[in-house]
Amino acid sequence: MKRIVIITMVFLFVATAVLAETVTVITKENTIREYNKFFSPVKAYVKYNDKLEVLSINGDWYKVKFGPSIGYIHKTAVEKRTASSPGLFSRKGSGVSESEAALAGKGFNPQVEASYKSKHPEMKFYLVDNIERFIVPDREVTVFIANGGLVQP
Amino acid sequence: MMKRSVAFLFALLLLCSLSGCETMGLGNISQHIGTAMTVVDATSKASRPISDEEEYYVGRAVAAKILGSYQLSNDRELTRYVNLIGRTVALHSDKPFTHGGYHFAVLETNEINAFACPGGTIFITRGMIRTTSNEDELAAVLAHEVVHINKRDGVAAIKSARWTQALTVIGTTAAKNYSPAEVGQLVSLFEGSIDDIFKTLVVNGYSRSQEYAADEGALQLLAKSGYNPGALDSFLKRLAQQGKASGGGILKTHPGTSDRIENISGKAPSGKTSTKAIEARTARFVSIVH
Repeated sequence: MKRIVIITMVFLFVATAVLAETVTVITKENTIREYNKFFSPVKAYVKYNDKLEVLSINGDWYKVKFGPSIGYIHKTAVEKRTASSPGLFSRKGSGVSESEAALAGKGFNPQVEASYKSKHPEMKFYLVDNIERFIVPDREVTVFIANGGLVQP
Repeated sequence: MMKRSVAFLFALLLLCSLSGCETMGLGNISQHIGTAMTVVDATSKASRPISDEEEYYVGRAVAAKILGSYQLSNDRELTRYVNLIGRTVALHSDKPFTHGGYHFAVLETNEINAFACPGGTIFITRGMIRTTSNEDELAAVLAHEVVHINKRDGVAAIKSARWTQALTVIGTTAAKNYSPAEVGQLVSLFEGSIDDIFKTLVVNGYSRSQEYAADEGALQLLAKSGYNPGALDSFLKRLAQQGKASGGGILKTHPGTSDRIENISGKAPSGKTSTKAIEARTARFVSIVH
């Protein structure tokens, strides 16, 4: 009888794990925060395509588990994907076709950009890279907001 | 007792499988994730078959093309200031995160203009910055551009025929690496898409309804961020005066300024801004911009 109880419990555990909701990171990089606030302490760094387990939802924020870290990530940094329809188009209610879903993450990608660059060496991609590298740290943004009497998001 | 426990466990398991784990609260999470995503879809009205990642690559190429026509500013202090304002506003928007993030850059030209490249890179010209009289007005210009990105207006400029061709090339295969011939076709489509967006941003402009929506969205963003929503109105009125002399630029690609002023009339949310805060913002604006 004990064996039945153990097997059932294991089965229940596995079933729960399989049914757990996961979301995928869609930004190049992002952070899991201690609280559901943009500038709360960072618990973990995540990158594009990382899978996060959703524990609960607090407004625009998901409480997620990533490895040993538990914290919050904003809903616009992730999306729910399914095996059959990866990418943006698996979003519930988006009503896109299967062929559109197949495009997600594929059409215009680094491979296409590389070919485009070699075809157009005059294009100043290095300046675009410089623009993207110009990062204003979170701490400067929070000080800027506070000093200007603005609203902390 | 043991039999009762086993029966309870089986009942729990059955309930779980039948209800999609509602007993664990996961069903609700699933429903909410769906709702949240639908909201995002609604804000990104362009139902074009393009992911955030693809939008980012298109936007990078559009930015590179714009930098072929305009000179990028090396003024780090001004660039930092514009980024601080822009990031503050973007964090209050419907889409605070994009694939590559928001980046704000200054173009060294007297032309009065600003461009929102798909994916999150926003250009503002030195001429446009000079036209603003305080930080709140500068924030109004950047908020308008952030709304264009939120609504994916740039991507919507791509001709629909290109998507049909892209779907034909890509098909429904799972492979991510293409043959040289397929890459050639995709690069051609990529090139065409960039031209479509560039023409819209720099030559023809967005539709009147897109510009009105961007103005209305900017009012909301300003209020949420703690800026004075009335700054958009005061900026547009100054633009109407200064723009007459300069011509071109934003006046060429946007609806009539008087029409824009009329459109936002009475739509600004009421906001309270302390005199001390306005003074602090004015002081830093003057020290950096003038």
